Amino acid sequence: MKKVSVVFFALAIFFVGFVFAEEVFTLEQPAFITSAGQSPGALQMTVVCKMVKLDYTFEKLMTADDFDPQAYNCAIFVVGASGKGLGAAGIDIDEETARVVALAQKAKDNGLPIVLTHLEGAARRGASSDLLFNELSPFADALFIKEESDAADQMFSNIAEEKEIPIFFFEKTADLKNVISEVFGL
Amino acid sequence: MKKFFIIFTVIILSSLSIAAYFQPDVRPGKGVTGFGWLSDYHEGLKGTNLDTPVYFMDSGEEGATFLLMGGTHSNEISTMMTATMFIERAVVKKGRVIVIPYSNKSGVSVNDTRNPNIDHFLPIETKSGPRFIVYGDRRTDPEDQIYPDPEVFKHYQSDFTLEDGAEARNLNRQYPGVADGNITQQLAYAIIQLIKEEGVNINLDMHESDPPGFTYKNSNGSTYSSGRLAYMLVCNPAETALEIGAIAAMEVEMYDLPIKLDQSNPAFRGLSHLEIGNYTDSLSFLCESPNPGMSQQEFPDVLYDEDFPLKHRIGWNLTVISSLIDGYNMMFGDSLEIDNLPDYFEIMDNGFEEYLN
Repeated sequence: MKKVSVVFFALAIFFVGFVFAEEVFTLEQPAFITSAGQSPGALQMTVVCKMVKLDYTFEKLMTADDFDPQAYNCAIFVVGASGKGLGAAGIDIDEETARVVALAQKAKDNGLPIVLTHLEGAARRGASSDLLFNELSPFADALFIKEESDAADQMFSNIAEEKEIPIFFFEKTADLKNVISEVFGL
Repeated sequence: MKKFFIIFTVIILSSLSIAAYFQPDVRPGKGVTGFGWLSDYHEGLKGTNLDTPVYFMDSGEEGATFLLMGGTHSNEISTMMTATMFIERAVVKKGRVIVIPYSNKSGVSVNDTRNPNIDHFLPIETKSGPRFIVYGDRRTDPEDQIYPDPEVFKHYQSDFTLEDGAEARNLNRQYPGVADGNITQQLAYAIIQLIKEEGVNINLDMHESDPPGFTYKNSNGSTYSSGRLAYMLVCNPAETALEIGAIAAMEVEMYDLPIKLDQSNPAFRGLSHLEIGNYTDSLSFLCESPNPGMSQQEFPDVLYDEDFPLKHRIGWNLTVISSLIDGYNMMFGDSLEIDNLPDYFEIMDNGFEEYLN
């Protein structure tokens, strides 16, 4: 009986230690949010942020030159390329890629944690969206991904695994508020 | 003999007139508080086959005005039937709704030219007995247009062109319209005038597109998947419209229904969601449900298709409408309230026929 207790105690310590060793990913407000690709997904993100009363600033075309990293505690890039959105903004995919990479670089250089999110599902997957995501992924500290976006090819799961960064999945766009509430401790 | 000749001539002319001015079957319910014609907003439509009924549903309570448009393309039948169901069932409790169920009425007076295998009149059974859904053409009847199609279509207010000159008869290429232009341009102009004069705050132009699930070949041998536009909600690029669209899209998802959010392409001119939003103060949206009749099937079942039955498409349209209204109310406070419409699940359980008069 004593032997069983000792083994049980040792196992308990091991598992408790394991749990504590798992780093919990958290973010602090205020957040800076921008679009990467000018799809309406970025606006959906802001609607979700309003729902959970997150302190955020949204600038869909913020440039690295105009970005003040001291004003924020994290940066969120909502990835989704839209030809219509880019057209409305008067830029092409190359200019947009250059803009968001420079912005991510500045945020990273100033120690801001960076989140990439893809919330428009399979309909917003495609060469341009994937290009943007892959260009930004070296800067990412976490991914917020709609399940449907990842379902066909697990591109986002694979990126998270390769980079050893946390990935937070949500089924419906409105469920993203649970992810935001969790990581921001709202 | 002379008297007989006069009477005979009057009868012949009357019947010709009735034939030309085909009227679709709409049976207004208790929510309808007023009726007018689109020519009330632009005299040029009076006496033409494009003059179309306008239904007013006023709560008497202060609020916003919502314009619902069906039948911009008369082969997109879920749009006409959603608008018809709205007129026959809905009761507006706050604000005001204006419904144009057959926005281009000329299109319903002729068969679909895209797939002539689809019957012009589709019989359905309702509580009141048999009724017919009219499956018309995407564009204005060439006889109503009067002017022959140009070789290349050019949007009047811009240099935007399309290779297919028949697009001159497509209402959804003409906005904001032309007061003294061809009759389809005048139709678009009249809708813009209605929106301005009635102070429409938010509008939805319903459409249908080819359904997903098919793979087709391009002329160069490459393949593409169908359904690019299906389940899309297109918002005018104004940020308020996009934000309302974002809220609406999330709500539609909560019904486990597909939806793709997009915004107007500013380079593609003449479309309702872009031009109405830009030329008036109304927040503009367009939605696309999937119609099997717009696939490449030879004999599609446009009413009871296994994957995309009409009840599913009407239910989806109604879900988009209620979600847009909820989005508008979230942005501007409670301004619109509509009662007595079935939700998606009720329509799927009971059939759309149950909710027609």
